[in-house]
Amino acid sequence: MILTPGTLARLAALGAAVAIAQVVCFSKMDVFGTSPDIALLVVMSVGILGGSLTGAVTGFSIGLLLDCLLLETMGAFALTLLTIGYVAGRYRETVGRPPRPAVVLLGGSLTLLGALVIAAIQVGTGIDANVSFLVVRDALVKSLIGALLAIPVLWTVRLVVRSALVDERRGARRTSAPRPVESG
Amino acid sequence: MYRKQVRRRRAVLLLLVAASLTLLSLYYRESSGGPVHGVQDVVSTVFSPIESGADRALKPVRDLVNWFGETFDARGDKAKLEDQVATLRDQLARSQTQQQEAKELAGLNEITSGGIVPDGTDPVTARVIGRSPTVWYSTVTIDRGSGDGVRIDDPVVAAQGLAGKVTQTTPNSAQVTLITDADSAVTARVTPSGATGVVQPNVGNPNDLQLDFLERGSDIAEGQMVVTAGFSTGDLGSIFPPGIPIGKITRATVEEQQAYQRVHLEPFADLRDMDFVKVLTTHTGGRKR
Repeated sequence: MILTPGTLARLAALGAAVAIAQVVCFSKMDVFGTSPDIALLVVMSVGILGGSLTGAVTGFSIGLLLDCLLLETMGAFALTLLTIGYVAGRYRETVGRPPRPAVVLLGGSLTLLGALVIAAIQVGTGIDANVSFLVVRDALVKSLIGALLAIPVLWTVRLVVRSALVDERRGARRTSAPRPVESG
Repeated sequence: MYRKQVRRRRAVLLLLVAASLTLLSLYYRESSGGPVHGVQDVVSTVFSPIESGADRALKPVRDLVNWFGETFDARGDKAKLEDQVATLRDQLARSQTQQQEAKELAGLNEITSGGIVPDGTDPVTARVIGRSPTVWYSTVTIDRGSGDGVRIDDPVVAAQGLAGKVTQTTPNSAQVTLITDADSAVTARVTPSGATGVVQPNVGNPNDLQLDFLERGSDIAEGQMVVTAGFSTGDLGSIFPPGIPIGKITRATVEEQQAYQRVHLEPFADLRDMDFVKVLTTHTGGRKR
């Protein structure tokens, strides 16, 4: 991904919009007893398209905004989404551009990883109450939803940052029609 | 060149992780008036009008998704399915949504005007504008804050019963920690037996609360109602007024009562699907809307 001021502005707008939509809309949805974590999938998509550094910085920024909007422990979502962005980016840098089945698997497994990081932070900072087994069910269902939504979210993020993607530029150059030869 | 890139990547990653951990550590160490809380308050104040607008604009989308989800859940129960389909169809229509909101507000008024609100309490109606995406933080954000007289530790009720308490405020918004949150504990009384205990959550299961620390030999049966105890001992007192309905006993086995001094209850309030709540403020001076 080529990071120009325009691309950074798009990523910032995307991050702010996703954080607000996550808090006011997606988290209030009830899908099989849980809610979709679209912010996490957006961070994963940015990591896949832009690499580990872009993914980590985007994840940290969106996470920090979520912490502020929810008035939650500052740094908890920032650390979680930073991890997701970095891992997704490293996948891209070491394995290459993931095919569709791999995107689905990444969506599911990174959503599960996000749930584990949040759980670890919560347990690490102290918890007095009983923990129901349904926490595991919640994480698994969330992962399933993450797997299902991974491809549509990746497509959407790709549309937003399309002009900055090196692969898209190469593809566009390859498929562009030859210029007509002027005569005379 | 490649090594330089790798070094840069690792440096940024370490910096971000260190920043996250520093924030976490500072947040727990400082008081609610500290600089990190201050930054959070400013950002939340700036974004709360946007959140409020987006919440209203995106409500039809939420309702549509919830309609599919709830319809699927209801498959196993024909009678429940019929009721829910009828209800959810209504919810799809915008006018019915408004009617439902009015009904919820009426329920709120009913619960706060039923003699359970102590003198000097000034209930403030608030719209739920945000929700945490994880089960570990069972909190919601409301569109009323310190500017409306909302203060930390003010009790919050939903249309059917107790919802939680205010744990953070900004001028335009506040965070409500629900009774299903891991940090929640409410002193409660079982009616009519009079047995008292502490209502604690079962993290991850919003439909199951536990009433712990019951006296041995308490005569508790399924179906009995649990209300806030609202104890007061000298200067020490519960932040919740007595008599606010919390839930009804769903499981009260003799074995569990004797071994763990515990019974299970289901909250009256639908904490996963509330649009309005009432904050029982005890302070005056905030602007009223």
